[in-house]
Amino acid sequence: MNSPENKLVQIEINGITTQAQAGSMIIEAADLLGIEIPRFCYHPKLSIAANCRMCLVDVEKAPKPMPACATPVMEGMKVFTQSRRAEDAQRGVMEFLLINHPLDCPICDQGGECELQDQAMGYGRSVSRFSESKRVVVDKDVGSLIQTEMTRCIHCTRCVRFLDEIAGTSEMGGIGRGDSTEIGTMVARSIDSEMSGNIIDVCPVGALTNKPFRFSARAWELMARPSVAAHDGVGSNLYYHTRRGDLMRAVPRDNEALNQCWMSDRDRYSHFGLRSDARLSKPLLRDAKGKLQEVDWDTALNAAAGILKDSGESLGMLFSASAFNEEYLLARRLLDGLGSKRIDSRLRESAFADDATRLEQFECPTAEISTADVVLLIGSNIHTDAPILGHHLRQAWRSNQAAIYALQPRAYNYHFETAATSVVNPQAMLSSLLSMAAALGDDLESADLPAQIISAISSATADEFAQDTIKSLKAADNPLIILGNMANSHANADFIRILSQAISKSLNARINMISAGGNPTGARKYGAQPAADGLDVQQMLENPGKGWLLWDVDPELDFDNPAAARAALASGNMVAVGSFQSPLVTEFARVVLPLAAVAESEGSLTNFDGDRQPLSPAGKAPGMSKPGWKILRQLGSLTEVEGFEFIGLSDLQSTDEFKVRDNKELDKIAEVTGLQRLGEVGIYSVNAECRHTVALQESQLASLAAISMHPQDIEKHGLQAGASVCIRQAGENISLPLQADSSIAIGCALLPAAITATATLGSAWETIKVEAK
Amino acid sequence: MKKIFRYFKSMALLELLRGMKLTFSHMFKPKFTIRFPEERTPVSNRFRGVHALRRYPNGEERCIACKLCEAVCPALAITIESELRDDGTRRTTKYEIDLFKCIYCGFCEESCPVDSIVETNFHQYHMENASERIITKEQLLAMGDRMEEQISKDRRKDAAYR
Repeated sequence: MNSPENKLVQIEINGITTQAQAGSMIIEAADLLGIEIPRFCYHPKLSIAANCRMCLVDVEKAPKPMPACATPVMEGMKVFTQSRRAEDAQRGVMEFLLINHPLDCPICDQGGECELQDQAMGYGRSVSRFSESKRVVVDKDVGSLIQTEMTRCIHCTRCVRFLDEIAGTSEMGGIGRGDSTEIGTMVARSIDSEMSGNIIDVCPVGALTNKPFRFSARAWELMARPSVAAHDGVGSNLYYHTRRGDLMRAVPRDNEALNQCWMSDRDRYSHFGLRSDARLSKPLLRDAKGKLQEVDWDTALNAAAGILKDSGESLGMLFSASAFNEEYLLARRLLDGLGSKRIDSRLRESAFADDATRLEQFECPTAEISTADVVLLIGSNIHTDAPILGHHLRQAWRSNQAAIYALQPRAYNYHFETAATSVVNPQAMLSSLLSMAAALGDDLESADLPAQIISAISSATADEFAQDTIKSLKAADNPLIILGNMANSHANADFIRILSQAISKSLNARINMISAGGNPTGARKYGAQPAADGLDVQQMLENPGKGWLLWDVDPELDFDNPAAARAALASGNMVAVGSFQSPLVTEFARVVLPLAAVAESEGSLTNFDGDRQPLSPAGKAPGMSKPGWKILRQLGSLTEVEGFEFIGLSDLQSTDEFKVRDNKELDKIAEVTGLQRLGEVGIYSVNAECRHTVALQESQLASLAAISMHPQDIEKHGLQAGASVCIRQAGENISLPLQADSSIAIGCALLPAAITATATLGSAWETIKVEAK
Repeated sequence: MKKIFRYFKSMALLELLRGMKLTFSHMFKPKFTIRFPEERTPVSNRFRGVHALRRYPNGEERCIACKLCEAVCPALAITIESELRDDGTRRTTKYEIDLFKCIYCGFCEESCPVDSIVETNFHQYHMENASERIITKEQLLAMGDRMEEQISKDRRKDAAYR
């Protein structure tokens, strides 16, 4: 039997003979030839619906026009896309589509970039023959991100199919029949997919538009500037649409290896946060009275350089994990020049004992995730860690029938079905991994493992979940283990990583670690993580030096342990470089330097796949803010450190440094008693840019200022759901409302990190006490 | 010989007399000049003078910030910024015309789907500072309010030919 994939058939379109793959549709063959067939419902990444009928073409010997998107090519088929019959059909369909579509393009936000408007220019009549009254459909409120104008809907169902097939949330559907069909959300609520913004792009008309962008610009005024998103390490490609230097909106840029033609809401909407009033626009210097005063750049830089020089080898550099490669490289030069060994960008992590072995982070490239057949997810809500990776994993499940096993502290709402899930509290995740290692039996490659882990494995017994998972991974052709943000920020993340690496090695599985931040790969590669004899963030906060350089860090919200950060930063002189104001910086910093955001400056980001993607500025930075590399260059020359004599960024970009670290001392696996905190960082709390975006904070996925526990735990602690409770963590108290949530493992409580309500507390993964008020 | 003839002809001031004849003949012809500003010449209803933004009879501004005028303007004289108003409609927050750039072609009026921006028949304006060449939305609306009667009269007259 001939496999349909490689069989070619000969067809003729408009008299041009061509070869097309058997089983493909006429519209695909025509697109390859560059013959234009009008369409609304057809989208190359979505299933075929053939319900708009706009692509009707004339096929020889067919009794009536055929939809090109749903008619497979046949040997010897002759297609005419512009014959009298085809054109009549297309014009007829267009007239019917326009019967119920308002003819008020000037007031529609899609005007100028509307597929219906474009096609109506080619196939519509110049004057409407329809004088009866038009259909009116009530607009649905689908949340803070998407504006609906359902009267404009032409029922192509692209949005429905996107949410069914790609996002996997099936939140929209068609209700009613014939003339009274309406597209809406199934249960009249908001669309909460983390990829929901894509329905704006697939909508061919103005029924679904970008809500925060609404009515602020017209399509023809905008310049598309290519850029890269820096909210997760995927490095999704996008275009910023700018008008007179202002970022107006973001749309996806096709890259089959990364984001395909999609984009996460975090990447799409977070740039609105750059317009926030909290943006820093002028350098600030603390005067004799202890007040921050606006000064010029020279004064501020001189003061900053003075502090850096003064601190010398005890200078601590705390970097955001979303900075540019060039900034990391220059920071490392500056640090080496000053003789300090304190730099880190893994601010949300607290366990670093495996630094030496933690090298290869991402063995399965993004594009190949969909080919995995058995996947083990460890501590990862992949859809919030990196929505695009979640999309690829969903494709593995959808098209490759991948069996997905998940070990997690909370039953995450995945957009795929798992083969088995184990929901246990954070500490029990370790025993679960030990049990998996035990299930490997003799297959376990224990040569490189530290002694205490080997002894822990030998005393563990393999439970059912561990046995199933290991059996399935063993039998797989293309097994993959994914460690998420939660696993990496876990209080014993080093154990988790060592165990997962041992398991993956023994099974010959690939392992992907999703580290937090927009450029974690670049941070490691270009020296923003401590060398063998350097101090990591934990050690730096424990032994604060004379000075600090904070780079795009909000000390209140960006650390694993904000209380420790506050205590450490209070001592020592602080130079804070950042894009946004933050209360602790205002309180402690001696010098504040305004930094241009990623979208506003030049540099490069390295994604999980290891590709360095250069960026050029898309928008203009507010006020006097400067790109990071210029700030560092001046700090470098003012402190008389070598390596800052370059002029442009291109002089820098050839350098590639890599540091290997020695093993640090591994702690014992601690016995944890009491209620463990699940300090998750919400999808829209990852960085200051997202936190200042009102539309994202108003959406359903934003972190709630509340504590959630399993109903059994609530009962056990004698509490009441809905009431406000007092939460104690290492001497600090806060009170928040208590919610019952049966998705959370017993023995732990979800208390989000990176929100103001919990900013006074300690580490995100300590034990807490919850008491009734 | 020729020289002597020309000498006497010039002494007779013939050219002067011929010129004065023309001058005197104009004393009895009707005058073209008018006494501006007391007197004004008639202006065509199609005259394209200074711009105005119109309102609907209920006082609501017509402009929906579709920016077609901004797009069509060949001199790039129009600058518009828009936003979502509380009632859910799109309205301009800024509507400026640079009268030095404007070439008074009337394309803005042609392109306007709601007959909001118009070129009135008013052309007797001046400015003392260069910065006054940019007229704002408030000035344009005030112009529309002041001249609405004339504007609608002119548009009605021309309606049959459109």
